[in-house]
Amino acid sequence: MKSFLTKRAYASLISLLFLVVAVFFLSRLTGDPTNLYLPVDASLEARENFRALHGLNDPLIVQFGRYLADLAMLDFGESIRRSRPALDVVLEAFEWTLILAAITMTVVTISAIVVGSLAAFRVGGLFDRTATFFSLIGASAPDFWIAIVAIVLFSVNLGWLPTSGTGTVWHWIMPIGVLFVRPFGLILQVVRGSMITALGSAYVKTARAKGVASRPIIFVHALRNAMLPVITVIGDQAAAILNGAVVVETIFGFPGVGKLMIDSILQRDFAVVLAAIMVTALAIFVMNLLIDLAYSVLDPRIRY
Amino acid sequence: MPGTKNTLHDTEETCMNIRSYLYGSAIALAVAIPAFAQDSDVTIVLNEDLETVEPCMTSQSNIGRVIQQNISETLVELNTKDGSLMPRLAESWEAVDEDTWRFALRQGVSFSDGSAFDAADVVKSYERAVSDQIVCEIGAKYFGGMTLDMEVVDDHTLEITSDPAQPILPLLMSTLTIVPSETPFEFMQQPVGTGPYEMTERNVGQNITLERRDDYWGEVPAVTKATYLFRSDDAVRAAMVATGEADIVPLIGQEQATNPATDFAYPNSETTYLRVDHGVAPLDDIRVRKAMNMAVDREAFLGTLLPQDAEAATHIVPPSTLGWNSDLSPWPYDPEQARALLEEAKADGVPVDAEITMIARIGNFPNVTEVAEALTQMFGDVGLNVDLRMYEVAEWIDLYSKPFAEGRGPSILLAMHDNSRGDPVFSMFFKYACEGLQSGFCSPELDQIMADATAATGDDRAALWKDAFAMIHNDLVADVFLFHMVGFSRVAERLDFTPTIATNSELQLAQINFK
Repeated sequence: MKSFLTKRAYASLISLLFLVVAVFFLSRLTGDPTNLYLPVDASLEARENFRALHGLNDPLIVQFGRYLADLAMLDFGESIRRSRPALDVVLEAFEWTLILAAITMTVVTISAIVVGSLAAFRVGGLFDRTATFFSLIGASAPDFWIAIVAIVLFSVNLGWLPTSGTGTVWHWIMPIGVLFVRPFGLILQVVRGSMITALGSAYVKTARAKGVASRPIIFVHALRNAMLPVITVIGDQAAAILNGAVVVETIFGFPGVGKLMIDSILQRDFAVVLAAIMVTALAIFVMNLLIDLAYSVLDPRIRY
Repeated sequence: MPGTKNTLHDTEETCMNIRSYLYGSAIALAVAIPAFAQDSDVTIVLNEDLETVEPCMTSQSNIGRVIQQNISETLVELNTKDGSLMPRLAESWEAVDEDTWRFALRQGVSFSDGSAFDAADVVKSYERAVSDQIVCEIGAKYFGGMTLDMEVVDDHTLEITSDPAQPILPLLMSTLTIVPSETPFEFMQQPVGTGPYEMTERNVGQNITLERRDDYWGEVPAVTKATYLFRSDDAVRAAMVATGEADIVPLIGQEQATNPATDFAYPNSETTYLRVDHGVAPLDDIRVRKAMNMAVDREAFLGTLLPQDAEAATHIVPPSTLGWNSDLSPWPYDPEQARALLEEAKADGVPVDAEITMIARIGNFPNVTEVAEALTQMFGDVGLNVDLRMYEVAEWIDLYSKPFAEGRGPSILLAMHDNSRGDPVFSMFFKYACEGLQSGFCSPELDQIMADATAATGDDRAALWKDAFAMIHNDLVADVFLFHMVGFSRVAERLDFTPTIATNSELQLAQINFK
C-alpha cells in the first residue's frame, strides 16, 4: 500500500511538472499582458515600465527559471491584475468550488444510487421508465438554460429563492440544483445498468432462493458489486465540477475557480492560470487516489 | 531567508483559512441569518468584481464606480453635464503663469484613517500615479508625456508647474485620486480617502461594503451604506432589481430595458468607429474612404441592432466635449455616389477590388458581430471586397495599436472609444496624431492644429478643436464614424437617481436620494 502511494505521488509529480512546463510556455505564446493591462491610450513609456516591473522583457527561459525557483519555495508569484499573491486568489475561489463539488456530488451520488437501484429492481416497470425518462432529459438539457429558467421561476415569479450570490443556505439551492441535474442523469444510468447485471447474477438468485428480503439483496449484496463502474463515473463527474462549473458560476455570481481560470487566461494573468491549474490538478490527483482506495475497499481482490 | 519564511507562513495561514472557512460554511448552511437592511442602504450590482481597490486605478469603470468621489476624492471635479469644473478638495485654483497653476486646498479635511489632508498628500498621490514601482492606470492614461513639478507653498497651497505647459491642468487634476502621503508604493488593499464613505468590508468575488463616514468634511449624503455585488449575466442583474435584491444596476442589456419606470438609457460617452489604415492601398485614396462612409446606412442600425437612442457620429468624442462641431453632419447614405467614386478611383488605377480585412473584437459591445456583418454587407453592396475577422481582445489590441505589421494588407478596424473627460485632448493624439498609437494616417497640418489647440485656453481652444474635427471628418475623411452609443441602467423605484454620462466611470453615492 505504502509503495503504491509513493509510486502514485511520483507519477503525479511528473505529470504536474510536465503540465507546468506546457502551460508556462503555451500561455506565453499568446503574447505579453501589457497591452491588456494598460488602457489602449497608455503611453509607450508606461508600457515599458510595466514590462520592466513584471520582468516581461527577460528571455522566456530566464522567466521560467525564476518561476521554478519561486515555485520551489511555494511562491506561486503575484497576480498582475489583482496585485495579490496568485495562490491566495486561487485558493479563495477554490474553496467555493470545493464546497460546491462536495455537496453536489454527495447529493447526486446518494440519490442516483437509490433511484438507480430501485429502477433496476423492476426493469421496465413504471418507476424504471419514469426514472429513465427524466434522467435522460437531465443528462441532455443545457445547464445555462436550466439556470435561467430556475431563476425566472423560483426567484422572479415565485419569489422563493434569491436570484444569485452567496450568504445564506437559500443561495446554495439553485446552483446545487442546476449542477445536480446532469451528473444525476448519467450516474443513475450507470447504476441502473450495473445493477441489472448484478441482480441477474448467480449469487443474487441464490440469496433469493434462500428467502432473503428484497432490500438487503439490492442494497447489501448486489450494490457492492455494482459500484465499481459507478465510482469511476462519479470520479469523472466530480473532476468536471472541480475544474470549474463555469456556467453556474457565471450566472449565479458564484466566485469559483472556473470563471477565475477563464478570466485569467483571457487577461494573460499567467501566475493565476498556473496556480489554478496546479491546485485543481492536485485536487483531482487526491480524488483519483481516493477512488483507487475505494476500489480496494469494495473489491477485496484488488490489492495495491 | 525572510522571504521563504513569509511564504510558508502564508501557506499555513491559507490552510487555516480553508479550515475555518469550511466550519463557517457549515454553520452558515445550518442557520440562514436573514439580513435586515435599513431603508437608507442601497445595493448596487456591477458586472464584474473589482480586480483591485487601488485608488490610482479608478479610470477602470467598475473601480471608478466604487471608489471615485465615494472613497477617494480629487482636487477638482468635472461636471459632466456642462463640462465645467467644480471645487472638491481644492477650494480654488488660478494660473500663475503659462505653465504654473496654484491650488488653494480645502482645510479641515481628514482621511478615513484620521490623518489630516494637506499638500503633501497631493504630491504623494501624483508620485504614486506616475511611479515605475507600481503601474497606475491614471498615470499611464492621463499623465503621460509631461512632467509635473509640485511645490508645496504651505500645508494648503500647492503650485504645480508642468512641462510642457498644460492649459487644462485643473481638468487633469479631476482624474487624480488623493491618498495619504504615508501610502507606500504598492497597491492598497484597504483604500484610504477623504470621501464621504469608507470601505468596511470586502469579500473577493462576493461583495464590497461602503459605509458613511461621520467625520466627512462636506454635506451628509442620504445613503448610509452601500453594498456592491457582482454578477456577469445581464439578465440576472436586471432581475435583481425586479426581485428587490438590488437598487441600482449601472449596466443592463438593451433587451432587458423594457420597464420605463425603472430602466434608463444614457449616453455612455462611447463612440464606435472604423479606424481606417491609410498606409495601404486602396485605403490611401480619399475617394475610397468617402465611398465607405457613403456605403453605411447608419439609420438602419438604430432601433434594430443598436439602441434607438444611439446617435450617428461625426466625431470620435461625444457631443458634450469641448469644441464639438455642430456644423458637421454624418455622411449621407448614398450607395450610388459611393459606387461612382469607386469607379472613378478604379479608372485612375486604384486597386479598389483588393480584399480589405475588417478587424472586430468579440464582445466589444452588444451585437458587435451582427453590426460588423451588416457593415461588411453594406460595403459589399457598393463593390468593396471586405472580409470580416473577429478577434479576442488581446489580439485585437495588438492590431489596433502601433507598430503595425510590415507587409500587412488593407484593413479597417471596428473600435469603441470612451472619452468622458470633456476635452478632446484625451482622444485626439492617440487616434489622429502622426505619432498616435492608434492613428491610421499622418497629417502634419492636423498635428499643428492639435498642438495649437492643446496649448490654447478658453474660446481659442474650443475653436481650434472645432477646426480639427472638421478637418478629420470633411477634408481628410480619416475614418468611418459610426455611433455615439448609449448604455442602459436599471434603478429601483424607491430611489431618486438618474444615470448620466458619468455613470460609465463613476457612481457617486452622494447623488442618490430616496423618494
